[in-house]
Amino acid sequence: MSKTFDRYASLLFLVLGVAFVIGSQNISASAYGSNVGPNIFPLGLGSLLVLLSLRLFYETFTYKQGEKKEGPALDYKRFLIILAAALLYVLLLEEIGYVVSTFLFLLVGFQTMQKGKWLNTLLISGAFSFGIYFLYVNVLDGTLPGLPTWLGL
Amino acid sequence: MDAFHYLLNGFATALQWQNIIFAFVGVLIGTVVGVLPGIGPISGVALLIPVTASLTGGLPPEEAATSAIILLAGVYYGAMYGGSTTSILLNTPGESSSVVTVLDGYPMAKQGRAGVALAIAAIGSFVAGIVSLVGLVFLAEPLSDVALKLSPADEFSLMILGLCALSGLAGKSVTKALIMTVFGLLLATIGIDNVSGVSRFTFEMPELYSGLEFLTIAVGVFALGEVFKTILERDSNEGEIAKISRILPTKQDLKESAGPIIRGSLVGFFKGIVPGSGATLASFLAYLLEKKISKNPEKFGKGAIAGVAAPESANNAASGGAMIPLLTLGIPGTGTTAVLMGALIMYNVQPGPLLFDEHPTIAWGLIASMFIGNLMLLILNMPLVKVFAKLIETPPKYLIPMIVAISIFGVYAVRVSVFDLVLLLICGVVGYFLAKNDFPMAPLVLGLVLGPMIENNLRRALTTSNGDFSVFIEKPVSLVFLIIAVLWITVPLIMKMRGKKVVVNVEG
Repeated sequence: MSKTFDRYASLLFLVLGVAFVIGSQNISASAYGSNVGPNIFPLGLGSLLVLLSLRLFYETFTYKQGEKKEGPALDYKRFLIILAAALLYVLLLEEIGYVVSTFLFLLVGFQTMQKGKWLNTLLISGAFSFGIYFLYVNVLDGTLPGLPTWLGL
Repeated sequence: MDAFHYLLNGFATALQWQNIIFAFVGVLIGTVVGVLPGIGPISGVALLIPVTASLTGGLPPEEAATSAIILLAGVYYGAMYGGSTTSILLNTPGESSSVVTVLDGYPMAKQGRAGVALAIAAIGSFVAGIVSLVGLVFLAEPLSDVALKLSPADEFSLMILGLCALSGLAGKSVTKALIMTVFGLLLATIGIDNVSGVSRFTFEMPELYSGLEFLTIAVGVFALGEVFKTILERDSNEGEIAKISRILPTKQDLKESAGPIIRGSLVGFFKGIVPGSGATLASFLAYLLEKKISKNPEKFGKGAIAGVAAPESANNAASGGAMIPLLTLGIPGTGTTAVLMGALIMYNVQPGPLLFDEHPTIAWGLIASMFIGNLMLLILNMPLVKVFAKLIETPPKYLIPMIVAISIFGVYAVRVSVFDLVLLLICGVVGYFLAKNDFPMAPLVLGLVLGPMIENNLRRALTTSNGDFSVFIEKPVSLVFLIIAVLWITVPLIMKMRGKKVVVNVEG
């Protein structure tokens, strides 16, 4: 258990709980003459979340010292590259179309996981992006953003 | 009509050609999911919901729901079969409920009996699947009859019990599990309130009017969360894979494992019915039981066949047993059944007491298809075990980016919104870091699924009692549920305080 993480997490949940409690004040308190309105559920739960996060915050002080057993260092570099690529992928999906964006994402993804074997990378990325697009759009009649119009295809 | 008659009708549904294919695809993918490192049953099911949604797009609603749920359930119990493969061949469990199988499975493989261990695991899983299905057939009707008589207050308390059951045993800290449950319930309040039509916490964003989509959250926290874990922690299988020679078990093997299989199935089944206890715990208990009653307990851990037969039977029986509270009461007891429930709700099918009355085709079709699916698994797993074993060698280099791409495709195909895709990525990152620090994800998803129902029942109960909260403790049934719920949370806490070791359920 990481004391620091839990402490920050408990504060974050505390803030969220308070936000829900405050937010539920602005929701009407009754519906059609019933005195049980749409605010009661979030209000109660928000308060509960506040109590629980205070409890967690308190618990972090009881964690035993020296309990830290760190595994191997986390591979942030690879993770951040893939996350950034995924973010670009979803933001560009509708702009440049499914096939192109998926192909590019897989290209980056495969090479980030392990460099080299370019031929395999190109083949698998191409087969996957075309394959899914063809299956979903032509066989199953689904809709996906097609090739970008500026390609003139 | 009696249960038998209903079951026959169920077979008529399950034996339609498209449903046979769906069951086959489900168990096949399930086995693959179980074998491949990095994706467990929950992430497998979550990942496939959008895919099934697009596959069944052309069918009428009722049939689409039946086929989809047949496929998804197939993934669930198929993964339980597949999970044993890596435990035995690689000393690494494919999913958490096969952890115990490692203890005796890998030593067996080292002695050159890997094939036999795999075969016994498959046979045990098959028997267990059938045992739990027979239980399901006989318990489903009476349980849902009882459930039909519940008032809104009773139902509210029953759902609270379900939530407490999953939170009380999930993960290492009850406080964290409860935080995740409450947070899930709070997330469920986002969107337009369906009683009064008031918008809540939407901040005028049109994407939020229909609420946060269960599918996006589930795929994010489970599928992407696991992928990010594999990337960050460099999870990979670099061990030596044991060779498979002889597959068919000898008469002696069968004789030695018959008892453990039957006992494991029963333990697993009853453990599975109880919400929140899950397959991991079931396999653990079955193993301990066998060791206790064995004439030569010193053999355990050194390649005893009973040590493979019992836990593998138990985890399959538990997944069958977990379908009972899901289908009859609408209470998912495990993370995977919570995801299955979300899938049913996506198809406008409400699991619970009315399911057997309103959608008999779906309920009994699913049950019958599980018989067929289990048979397919047995047939698939015995001769093809070598082929599945090859899957372990799939390089994560290709697997990981493809899972990300499938998640994104799936969510986009169903939601057609970039907003959901961004939310998906956020859920993946947040899910990874929370899960890594022992914040369990299953209660969050369960809260999200049960939230609207709990709120409806709460408000219906409070409206009839004019806002008087005592209605929940005045009704005897509701009071009993609430007392059990409180005990579920407090008893493990008290035991922990007394210094007793409490077995926690790590399976989602």
